[in-house]
Amino acid sequence: MTTGPSAVRESFVLPLVLLTVAAAGGLRLAPDGVSLSFVPPPLIALVLAVLLMGVMARAGLLLPAALVGDHRTGLENASGAVVVLTLFVASAQLFTCLTPDAGMLRLLFNLFFVFLLWNTLAAQPDRGRLLRSLVVVFGWAYVIRYIALAALADPQGGWTRRIVTALLEGASAGPVAGEPMAPLAGYVAFATVALYMVGLVLLPRARPVEAVAIVTRAPDTLE
Amino acid sequence: MKPALVRLAGLLVTAAYATLIVWVYARQPRTVRQLTGGMAATVGAYKVDPANFEEGLRFFRNDQFMEARAAFERADPAHQDALVQFYVAYSFYRQGWGRVYKDAALYRLGLEAVDRAIAHAPGGRLVVSDGTLGMHTADELRAELQRGAQRSMSDLNPMKVFEPRK
Repeated sequence: MTTGPSAVRESFVLPLVLLTVAAAGGLRLAPDGVSLSFVPPPLIALVLAVLLMGVMARAGLLLPAALVGDHRTGLENASGAVVVLTLFVASAQLFTCLTPDAGMLRLLFNLFFVFLLWNTLAAQPDRGRLLRSLVVVFGWAYVIRYIALAALADPQGGWTRRIVTALLEGASAGPVAGEPMAPLAGYVAFATVALYMVGLVLLPRARPVEAVAIVTRAPDTLE
Repeated sequence: MKPALVRLAGLLVTAAYATLIVWVYARQPRTVRQLTGGMAATVGAYKVDPANFEEGLRFFRNDQFMEARAAFERADPAHQDALVQFYVAYSFYRQGWGRVYKDAALYRLGLEAVDRAIAHAPGGRLVVSDGTLGMHTADELRAELQRGAQRSMSDLNPMKVFEPRK
C-alpha cells in the first residue's frame, strides 16, 4: 500500500519541476554569451533514462503503482502518468546536460553512466541510498564537464586549468580537448541538476508499515 | 478546491508548458531576443519597429547593405516578420551579386533569410510591391539565390556578364 500523494504536488509541482529540467537540460549557451541553442535528447540519453527509471523502480524511489493503478480515478491516473512521462523526459535531458556534445569524451561519459547504473541496479539500494548515489554520480559528472573540461578550454583558466592539466598528464595518450562554454552554462547546469534531485525527493513515498495491535488476554483471564 | 479540479487544472497547465517547450525546441531560437520575440509573435504581440525598418529601406536603396541589415535587425530582432526578412534576403542577393562573380556565401545567408520570410508569410506566399526591386515574390528571390549559390557549367557562359542585377 502507498500513500496518495497530494493532488497539488502530483498535478502541479512535480510536472512543472521535471519539465523545467527537461527544458533547461538541452539548453546550450555559446561561449560568446549571446547565442543559444536547444539540443534534443540523443538516443543514448533515452536508453540511459529507461535504465535510470528501472533503477528507481527497483529501489522504491519511483512507485508506479502509487501513480497509476485500478485504485485511482481516471483523472488521478492521467496526472500520475504525466508524472512518469515528465520524469522520463527530464532524466533523458539531464543526461544530455551532463554529457559532452561530441567526441571521445561523450562515449566515455555514456559508458560511465551505463556501468554505474547497471552496478546500482545490481546492488538493489533502498530509496535513501539511491538518492545519495545519484547525487554523487551526477555531481561528479557535473564537476568533470562544467568545471574540469570548461577550465581546459579556457585560456584564462588559471589554477583550475593547471591542476586539471597536471592531473591528466600521463592519464591520456594525447591532450584532452576542453569544451568551451559560456560562464553562465555551469550555473544553469547546476540549477538543473539540483532541480532534478528536488523532483526525485518529491516523488511519492511508500507508506510505512502500519502498526498492528495484537490484543492478548492476560493469563489469569484464561483460567 | 476539489482535488479533481486541481488535477484537471494541473493537466492543462502541464500541457501548456510542455507545448511551449516543444515549440522552443522545434523553432530553435538562436538568441534570447528571438526566443522572446517568437513567443510574443505566437500570441500576436510582436511588432516590427517602423522607424528602424524605414531606415533599413533607405540604406538598402542606397546600396548600403550592411547598414541596411543592421537596421533590419533592430526592426525585427526575432526574425519573425516576413517582409523584413525578405529585404534582408534581398540585401544579401544584391551585395553578393557581381557581373562576373557571385558570392556564394552571401547567397547562402540570403537563402536562410528568404526561407524565414516564406515560413512567416501567410500560406508561404509573399508578394512585395516595391518598384525598385527586380523580383517581387519570395519564390523568385529564392530561386535566384539558389542558382547563385550553386556552381555549374553555365557559370562559364560569357553572355552571363550581360545579365542585369535584379
